Amino acid sequence: MSDASPPANKADKTPADDAPEPIQHGPLGKALADKGLTLEALGDDAVGNETLGVACADLLGVAKALRDDGFDLLLSVSGMDYKEYRQSVTHLYSTKTYQTVTLKTDAGGDDTVPSLVPIWPAADWHERESYDLMGIHYEGHPDLRRILMPIDWIGHPLRKDYKEEDPRLVWNRR
Amino acid sequence: MTTASPAPELSLRDKPGFSDLQGVTVEHGLNTQDMVVNIGPQHPSTHGVLRLVTTINGEIVKDMEPVIGYLHRSKEKMAEGRSYFQYQPTIDRVEYLSSFYDHYVYVTAIEALADLKVPKRVEYIRMICMELNRITSHLLWFGTFLLDLGATSPFFYAFREREAIFKLFEDITGARMMYNYFRFGGVNADAPPGWLDDVRKVINELPFRFDEYEAIANKNPIVMDRCIGVGVTSYQDLLDYGVTGPSMRACGVAQDMRKTNPYSCYNEVEFDVPTATEGDVYARYKVRMAEMRESIRIVHQLLDNMPGGDSAELRKLEKEHAKVAEEIAAAKKRVTVAKKNEEAPNAADVAKMAEKAPELPFDYRTTGQKVNLMVFKPPAGEAFSMVESPRGMLGCYLVSDGTPKAYRVKWRGASFSNLTILPSMMIGNLYPDLMAIFGSLDIILPEVDR
Repeated sequence: MSDASPPANKADKTPADDAPEPIQHGPLGKALADKGLTLEALGDDAVGNETLGVACADLLGVAKALRDDGFDLLLSVSGMDYKEYRQSVTHLYSTKTYQTVTLKTDAGGDDTVPSLVPIWPAADWHERESYDLMGIHYEGHPDLRRILMPIDWIGHPLRKDYKEEDPRLVWNRR
Repeated sequence: MTTASPAPELSLRDKPGFSDLQGVTVEHGLNTQDMVVNIGPQHPSTHGVLRLVTTINGEIVKDMEPVIGYLHRSKEKMAEGRSYFQYQPTIDRVEYLSSFYDHYVYVTAIEALADLKVPKRVEYIRMICMELNRITSHLLWFGTFLLDLGATSPFFYAFREREAIFKLFEDITGARMMYNYFRFGGVNADAPPGWLDDVRKVINELPFRFDEYEAIANKNPIVMDRCIGVGVTSYQDLLDYGVTGPSMRACGVAQDMRKTNPYSCYNEVEFDVPTATEGDVYARYKVRMAEMRESIRIVHQLLDNMPGGDSAELRKLEKEHAKVAEEIAAAKKRVTVAKKNEEAPNAADVAKMAEKAPELPFDYRTTGQKVNLMVFKPPAGEAFSMVESPRGMLGCYLVSDGTPKAYRVKWRGASFSNLTILPSMMIGNLYPDLMAIFGSLDIILPEVDR
């Protein structure tokens, strides 16, 4: 983690040097990066699961590579709302190496992320839930509609700026 | 009949597969029509509030769509509006049949974030609670599953044993089902004196009860007819739908987080992961019954090796320590304010005495570090902790931004994923098998809807 080479000359220090050292890839991220896939190392979470940041365009490629590496079980897809942008977090588990890996994909301005259903069919309901509660659209999902909330619900309740202002509800009419 | 008359030409209507109306097909010379049967949301066999929109043709299920969300109580949103400790009581309601597990994932995620050390005694008590909880959960499953198949009496037997274990939970946590017992870095209170013996008494009795159950059910012709060869799944199907837990182990794969990713102190106990190879309803039944026996084996080992032993001895030890602490405090006072006609003790001696004051070893305590629960703030970061619950892999994804409230809590409930496989298992199967197959998956709806 701290093996990053220090700046060659301390005198010509730029503001960028004050930023924390870039996080190095863990073994899994390194193996994927060696295959020519672009991903960002985000270190380990508190429990020790390796976390990888993947751009929307690279997600399917990385996912396929991970599945071929033995990550055959999709545990969950969580929608995250970081106010400026939405993020889709996928947790994968390998029934061969017993590892868990976290993939983080930032949704763009249109809140769209590629769907993982073609790779892990288990993502179906999880992505529907993320769409329902967080409003992230999963491109390529076969049947993206609400799952937990009523079908005519307005808004996505887990968003940080969500306000329940449906005029049809009695308590909002007062 | 000797002269071969030309075979009468089948009219178009009689040809197999003919259909002139939407959904009307001719099979075996009978006109059949697809029919939509709405099962639930209120149905005694759905164990909660689940709606299954089922299309059947005759007795064959053609299509099925589970409709969930009737029990959605926004548990994840609730976490963002209250402190970490205030959120804890609501966790019990996520999965009320084995809520020790939900507490455990939540608490371990926070412990990992805040880097709290947990005493061994705490881990042992937690493991005993969790394993007993696995037994109660499986017992309820056993009762209701056979009730779904039409057997009424096992339900009462199972509840009798369940109640005995609930009595133990009530003694240690104060509640039968809504425990709220685990704390960040510890447990709420130590086990009451004599609790370990009570546990031993109950679990010594259980194997004989299980023998009785299996004598009733294992070779019962109705159970065998309705379970063997029904609802067979392949391992690949289970992976594709994200199904974990006993259903996966019934397909011959010993995927158990307790063995593969040992958490708590599971690497210190000896146990087997029961598996079966058939992958049908009967295999799932056998796996669950065997798991209960393994749980008893684990609890026996934990009781025997409990750090600190029974809490009565620990309390005695604590009293002695308190007496010494009192003496030291008195001596310290005399250093500054000596009594009349008495020589003041040497300050250095008193300091030495205070240094040597006996203390309860860390592993014997019920709280690792003192945490002020009301203002507790784990540092910013995230954790995804997992546990092997009676229904499969249960996870909690916790994101903290350093404030006293969680930024996001996401539950990975085993039931949510386990339910997704139901339509694919049912399509093409007999409608009467639905309750056997659905029951064998052991789904709890509050965990699906959260």
